[in-house]
Amino acid sequence: MRNRLTRKWVVVITWIATVVAVVAVTVARSASQGTRLDRIDGRPNLSGIWQANNEANWDLQAHEARAGAVVQSGVYPYDFAQVPAAPSLPFGAAGGVPGSIGVVDGDGQIPYTPDALAQKQDNAAHWLDRDPELKCQLPGVPRAMYMPYPYQIVQSTNKIHIFFAFSNAARVIHLDDVAPSPIPQSMGHSVGRWEGDTLVVDVGDFNSRTWFDRAGNFHSDGLRVVERYTLISQDAIQYEATIEDPNVFTRPWKISMPLYRRLEPNMQVLHYRCTPFVEEYLFGHLRNQPLVTRWEGETMVVEITRPEEISPEASYERISGTQ
Amino acid sequence: MSHRFIAGMAMLVVVAVFVGSSGNTLSRAQPQTAVATTPWGEPNLQGIWTDPYATNLQRHPSLGEREYYTEEEVAELDRRRIDSQQRPRATPGSIADVAGAYDGLYISMRPTGRRTSLIVDPPDGQLPALTPMVQQRRAAMREYALALKQNTSTCQNKEGDCANGTYGPPSPRREEMPPSYSTINLNRANGPEDRSSGERCMATSLPVFNGYWRIVQSPGIVSIYYDVGQGQGFQRIIPVTDRPHLPPHVREPFGDSRGRWEGTTLVVDVTNFEPYLDFQNAREHLHLVERWTARDADTLEYSVTIEDPTTWTRSWTTKQELERQDGQLNRIYYEPRCHEGNLGMVGLLQGNRAVEQAFADGRGAHPASLDISSNSNTLGTGSNDPLGDPDQIEEVVR
Repeated sequence: MRNRLTRKWVVVITWIATVVAVVAVTVARSASQGTRLDRIDGRPNLSGIWQANNEANWDLQAHEARAGAVVQSGVYPYDFAQVPAAPSLPFGAAGGVPGSIGVVDGDGQIPYTPDALAQKQDNAAHWLDRDPELKCQLPGVPRAMYMPYPYQIVQSTNKIHIFFAFSNAARVIHLDDVAPSPIPQSMGHSVGRWEGDTLVVDVGDFNSRTWFDRAGNFHSDGLRVVERYTLISQDAIQYEATIEDPNVFTRPWKISMPLYRRLEPNMQVLHYRCTPFVEEYLFGHLRNQPLVTRWEGETMVVEITRPEEISPEASYERISGTQ
Repeated sequence: MSHRFIAGMAMLVVVAVFVGSSGNTLSRAQPQTAVATTPWGEPNLQGIWTDPYATNLQRHPSLGEREYYTEEEVAELDRRRIDSQQRPRATPGSIADVAGAYDGLYISMRPTGRRTSLIVDPPDGQLPALTPMVQQRRAAMREYALALKQNTSTCQNKEGDCANGTYGPPSPRREEMPPSYSTINLNRANGPEDRSSGERCMATSLPVFNGYWRIVQSPGIVSIYYDVGQGQGFQRIIPVTDRPHLPPHVREPFGDSRGRWEGTTLVVDVTNFEPYLDFQNAREHLHLVERWTARDADTLEYSVTIEDPTTWTRSWTTKQELERQDGQLNRIYYEPRCHEGNLGMVGLLQGNRAVEQAFADGRGAHPASLDISSNSNTLGTGSNDPLGDPDQIEEVVR
């Protein structure tokens, strides 16, 4: 009798302790990033500030570290002996590229058609001229999800708004019925549904302006992306994107990665409004007097000169051309 | 220790925890009226909204403190506006024609609203006086801008904003930096900085009075996307929190928002604006207090109190009623394509380099003699909307 009572108390006290602990955690988190409920309308609440923490924006595929974002041949003709090219050199070790095991599932290969593979390689060779990221253009989907900038998911019952720091990019995932997109868009048109506790988002109506990474991986306006978001803990989402584009790839392929919650107290997404930041990059050669021409360090001088003749088409291409 | 005592303590702990947690996870202010609430108990402001009416920012002085037109006045204004030819095309090939590239064919007209002005305070509906500092800044910029265009036919013919200007040779001031950070089109295109914030695709910020806005809410967070400014749309996040604003040296292009619920009204305090923004002459010291209140299922009242003691001698407040738009039709555009498609900037800079080259080669006019700063409004050939014509308003309300 006495034992049974004691056991009952232990159960009750343990239960109370658990409740107190759980609530304490909830309240502590609430204080840092506003209020938070575990579920919205019976679905997992993905609201919060998130960021990927990987090298996918450099290259979705597995790659070695290298000496510079742009490199050139060194003393030896071997790839492993390349040295930073002029644009990367003044940045030293901060101008290199970290290695990665890649985020492409299966054999790690992106199944390009032969023509598309040649285009990808050409893109990579002209990265500094073509990558839409460098032009502050919209990053597209899925690239926006793994760029090195935070984004905030605002989850309601019928809409999920994602607010990206980079270039004021935005997405609304429609969980309810809406008219189709009237025109193709860089960020596509997102329609979501819940499969149990996984958010599945079908993204279509893309234009061909965006890339997947800084390695020149690209797509056409035939792109379709199916994303899956699954909370694997309160502070991590398992993110998967199946990518399909019959104009460019021979079969669908998939990337996957965790997205991590930004846990800093008082975390907030600050805008990276790069429009004014890239004016010199996009229009500098069209000034009547050159503005950015020379930088001097202790052992290095960087000179920026512009070609004597730049065709009008090249200037337009800088804005509108991506590949 | 009795069982009852322990059970009582346990209940007390559970109740305390429950109260504590609900205070943190749900809205502190419960709605008092039949205003819809979100499943987590906050007033529900979500949807796509727009102000479907044309309303002047300032009131015609003859209306005094009258906040609304009569229905007859609205009908008469609408009749006149329908009869007026909006933005008639200027003489084809003239500067006014090219500068006013968007003629009436491209301009939509919203029906006249009941409000006589967006400004409801001061009660006379007028913008407060500018501070002497801002008046001086404006005067210096006006003088500089007129000097840059003094060699154009616009000034020769005393047209548009050069009606009181002087005509003369190319000004040596063309070699000078503007007297303050310019957000207007100067009669020069040495680089993008000579062009207006609009042409540079960086003009939009708060407050916004037009366009289509989508509000999405999650517990403790309100987000708004503004489809405004011809592809210069932007978004903001409003955390509902008592957390202080960002440090003063951290500036944001759309300000730093902090929200709180006062009954069913969302009150948002916005500070930390960028110095390169210009709202009615206010720059980085702009401070907004916005109030969002659902009046009924399809009406959202938006009021904003605007203050900046460095710009105006007192604060002022606007008010407007937004109408819910069809969510299924989803007529709101999320892509800020002004920057993505700014081929206009390329064409403008390239064209000016060509003009300079032609002049250097003895083939063309002096670049300073061409007017690239006037637009259809400054040339006085812009809108013929009676709502923008004080004489017509006076006739209607007399």
